[in-house]
Amino acid sequence: MRIFRNLTQALHGLLLNKGNTFLMTLGVMIGIASLTVIVAIGEGTKAKVLNRIASLGFGPDSFSVYSGAGRLFFGRSRNTTSMTLQDADDIRAMPNVRMVIPRQRTRMKIIHKKDFTTTRIYGVTPEWRSARQWVITDGIFFGDADMERKRKVIVLGATPARKLFGDKDPLGKKVRVGQVFFEVIGLLEKKGLTESGYDPDDRTLIPLTTSMSRLLRKSHLHSLKVVAMSPELVEETMDGVTQVLRHNHGLSSLADDDFRFITPEGIMQWVTESEQAMNRMLLLISTVSLLVGGIVIMNILLVSIRERIHEIGIRRCFGARRSDITQQFLFESVFVSLLGGGLGIALGLGLSVALQQSTFIPAKITWEPFALAFGFSMIVGLVFGIHPARKAAWLNPDETLR
Amino acid sequence: MSIIEIDSIYKTYQDEGVETEVLKGISMTVEEGDYISIVGPSGAGKSTLMTILGCLAQPTSGTYLLDGVEVEQLNDQQLSRVRNEKIGFVFQAFHLLPGVSAFDNVMMPLLYCHTSPEGAAERVERALERIGLGHRLNHTPGQLSGGEQQRVTIARSLINDPKILFADEPTGNLDSKNGAEIMATFDQLNAEGRTIIVITHDPSVAKHARRILTLRDGRIESDQTNENFQKSHTSSARAAAE
Ligand SMILES: Nc1ncnc2c1ncn2[C@@H]1O[C@H](COP(=O)(O)OP(=O)(O)OP(=O)(O)O)[C@@H](O)[C@H]1O
Ligand SMILES: [Mg+2]
Repeated sequence: MRIFRNLTQALHGLLLNKGNTFLMTLGVMIGIASLTVIVAIGEGTKAKVLNRIASLGFGPDSFSVYSGAGRLFFGRSRNTTSMTLQDADDIRAMPNVRMVIPRQRTRMKIIHKKDFTTTRIYGVTPEWRSARQWVITDGIFFGDADMERKRKVIVLGATPARKLFGDKDPLGKKVRVGQVFFEVIGLLEKKGLTESGYDPDDRTLIPLTTSMSRLLRKSHLHSLKVVAMSPELVEETMDGVTQVLRHNHGLSSLADDDFRFITPEGIMQWVTESEQAMNRMLLLISTVSLLVGGIVIMNILLVSIRERIHEIGIRRCFGARRSDITQQFLFESVFVSLLGGGLGIALGLGLSVALQQSTFIPAKITWEPFALAFGFSMIVGLVFGIHPARKAAWLNPDETLR
Repeated sequence: MSIIEIDSIYKTYQDEGVETEVLKGISMTVEEGDYISIVGPSGAGKSTLMTILGCLAQPTSGTYLLDGVEVEQLNDQQLSRVRNEKIGFVFQAFHLLPGVSAFDNVMMPLLYCHTSPEGAAERVERALERIGLGHRLNHTPGQLSGGEQQRVTIARSLINDPKILFADEPTGNLDSKNGAEIMATFDQLNAEGRTIIVITHDPSVAKHARRILTLRDGRIESDQTNENFQKSHTSSARAAAE
């Protein structure tokens, strides 16, 4: 078959022009390797974000309402003071609601003798523990009596416990926050860092009433955690909560909400949007890297044609058709692209595995980019090879031999 | 029937708007088995005429009948087939594929055959043996002397058993001994009935031919029969035999 003979000639040509072959292969290899690595990093980042969301402690039946307008974790104003215990009570009275945990939140220095650390301090109600289902490894959680008497008791997360007490037993010891001395009554189970480096153990909990009257000395809330009777009721409950809050805060029908919801779906949606933006960026970068590889191929082929113009003329003299020359050069570029693609996939896989093993850049290996890369390299070879190949074929045989 | 019949061939080159008329109305016929040398001063249009006769370029105007076929009517595929089957070329600069063995160079025209040739490898080996290079099959052009390279090009041009052999200054890059050997080979090929057209500057090469065509300024100045044809032919055959 004529086409196989042209293929053999192409392979011979690549072997004879090792320098050009090497450069073209390198061009495609780098393009493909960067494509696969970039996608692996993208996938890794996505996995990391999902992981972070999972660690936020949302069940399918719960959501949070944060004080202040805005979106998700990004509040527009820091000093909205409209959310109160009255809101919590009114929401708790709704039929679909199983539990409401009102929260105050601050970040302060916590001191024991000469050791201190800055941590998040939440003022919450005793239901917090059952809503989060967080185990107390030692001691107890505060109860209704502590709430009523505004007792100065504190439950430590694993991180502040370690920083203040090391190996010693913190239970019964006093810690100071601002001017207030608290007694440590319980320790939260350690959850450990999430992949993103977020530390869920870096927190302490005090009774909400203590927080309101002794520590922060203000009565407005940071947020409410709402647990609905069932996951299907979440949406309906959110509508109800909106109505209650708007009514309680005296918002006219034209005013914007002065609170915002944080739901697993909301976060997912946000992640999806950021992911789409990221995917667009990845696509752009990959296209550029492949384009660069393709243009490298095309240029080297064009140079190579100038170098091999005699070869083309000789072949034409002895019976090569235009299509034979086209095929030969096209085979060369496709072969080089596939070779470069194969090597690029190997390199990309190696780099992705290395990244996966290292901790500082997340990477996740999926098969799609590799399949895609292989298809792409074939297309690159065809698209960027066709111009030089046709150019070679349409040279006049008599002029190529001068 | 004549193997070549050209009538009023004109060829004009256009280079960046500048027109150069290189061939200005050339008509001639070549009979099968003819042995022609084309001579004339540099720039007279000899090589240009050969590219047209060899179906490597089309004339600006005029008609060309090759073996009864109107060349102007042929498409690229048909022209390629004509070059592959009916014509062989030998060049002054050899034009072998660089870095490719003598064997593969001679094999090259067989790659472009209409139907896959049978026993190609044996044919190539025999052709190289015939020109005395059976022991140099795997040498690349860079590893061969000028005379050996020119013999490889002759083997290549003959591998498909063409009716016509074109040679443009075949001895131009060779010393006189190698040149004489090449011409002796041509004499013998012509004696076997092949049509041979040789372009040359060298009168001692031209006189091997039966017919000497002189080109000047794009026109045929003279077309003479070589009186000494038989004599020179036999003497060169003797020289080759020695
Ligand atoms: N592609 C081209 N474009 C413009 N002019 C050309 C082209 N090819 C050939 N010529 C011109 O045509 C003329 C004839 O060229 P050609 O090569 O046929 O001469 P020649 O008789 O073979 O000469 P020589 O004996 O030096 O080989 C020259 O003046 C040359 O410059
Ligand atoms: Mg010439």
